[in-house]
Amino acid sequence: MITPQRTDARLGRIVRLLMDNATVVASGTKIAQEIGTTRSEVWRMVQQLRKLGVEIAGHPATGYRLKSVPDLLLPDMLAPLLKGTIFGKNIQHYYKIGSTNSAAMEAARADAPEGSVFLAEQQTAGRGRGANQWHSPQSTGIYCSVVLRPPLPPSEALIFSLAAGLAVRAAVQEIDSRVKPDLKWPNDALLDGKKVCGILTEMNAEATRVRHIVIGLGINVNQTDFPSDLESLAISLRMFTGTEWSRVEVCAALLKSLDREYHNLLEKPGARESVMRRFQEASSSVRGRKVRIEESPGLEGVTEGLDDRGFLQLRTAQGLKTVLSGTVRFV
Amino acid sequence: MNQKELKELIEFLIEKDIAEFELERGDVKVRIKRGADSSGPAVQDTRFFAVQSAPPSSATVDSAPSATTPPRTTTPEPAAPEPSEDLHMVRSPIVGTFYESPSPGAPPFVKPGDMVEVGQVLCIVEAMKLMNEIESDVAGEVVKKLIANGQPIEYGQELFAIRSRK
Repeated sequence: MITPQRTDARLGRIVRLLMDNATVVASGTKIAQEIGTTRSEVWRMVQQLRKLGVEIAGHPATGYRLKSVPDLLLPDMLAPLLKGTIFGKNIQHYYKIGSTNSAAMEAARADAPEGSVFLAEQQTAGRGRGANQWHSPQSTGIYCSVVLRPPLPPSEALIFSLAAGLAVRAAVQEIDSRVKPDLKWPNDALLDGKKVCGILTEMNAEATRVRHIVIGLGINVNQTDFPSDLESLAISLRMFTGTEWSRVEVCAALLKSLDREYHNLLEKPGARESVMRRFQEASSSVRGRKVRIEESPGLEGVTEGLDDRGFLQLRTAQGLKTVLSGTVRFV
Repeated sequence: MNQKELKELIEFLIEKDIAEFELERGDVKVRIKRGADSSGPAVQDTRFFAVQSAPPSSATVDSAPSATTPPRTTTPEPAAPEPSEDLHMVRSPIVGTFYESPSPGAPPFVKPGDMVEVGQVLCIVEAMKLMNEIESDVAGEVVKKLIANGQPIEYGQELFAIRSRK
């Protein structure tokens, strides 16, 4: 397997420099001095940025100018927006990667600090539950995984799964209050009944203590269409509102919102109950909806809210059942 | 005289504490001698009384016996847990659904007979789309997988039996 190449941090610094000097043309010499390299190296990196879709005018003789603010999830773009959260200090960006969750789990095993963020412009093996894939085309969605190390026993960590869905909903609503994703247990975010965000959480724990949790979030932001097999299942924020969204803005709002939920759960009394209550308010299907559980053939019934651990309650012909895992499908 | 009658006779002799008895009837001759006498088996019946021999040994002999290693018997299936054996049980730290492989159709993380190290992933327990990697907390041989793929499990439930490496 080829180890995916992390994006050269200097690319982000060039973009940042050009953004900070948006009204003037920055000379190749000045940029080279600022980031400690040569003019020819700057020219090489500008060409690399153009390949990433950043619109930069100019060449070595004239200097450079940004034609528009690029919507790339570069650490230099995000970090200033994440001050005061646990997510601003260690952001890793990849142009192309198999799966941000796999990279984050691997890094966590190798002692990556809490709050590490893994972002990619494109995933070639974006993962969902089981063998499901997450469709991850270049620079249209947000493919983001974060490393958490809550000082909790593993049995108390399930709540993060529900809280992550709430964080996504809050982030999107913060940017456009008309957009209120409907949550489907445990944490899918739906618009018009189609999936706009999927979350996959992975945990490594000792019997009594979590070592690390990786929460992976895939958000469909600026897709204008989906492959035919996903058409009836997926939607993007752009398809819902008809306008283009800033991925940088959505990603920053998401990480701030996640940070808030995380701190509340660790520090505030009653935070678990709050997550449970808000989830049930934000989900139209958690009560009174006829559903089946895809992975459990024959398990079908009407939803009856959550139990105190957050598990879905299902009223079936055989009585009340507790759903521990699985995909909820409406029938 | 059948075996039942013979048994009743022996019981009678024990009850009455008779040390020696001899009977001859037609072509049947029974001689019973109780107590510690090294002259021969305590019970003898030249025609009918079958002395139960030791069961034929099903044990396998060490394939490479040596002078210093006394022959030792092992059970035919070395991987089967013995009640007397002190196996380490790996338990689930959460409630959830048991998965033996990373994704449906993929080969299982481990199977009985595999040697595992401390920290090696044995299975995944999923709850609410949170995938919990369950690691082995001992090094040794996986003796038994106790849960079927896709089954719900409770907090603390035993998942694998492992014979820890000495």
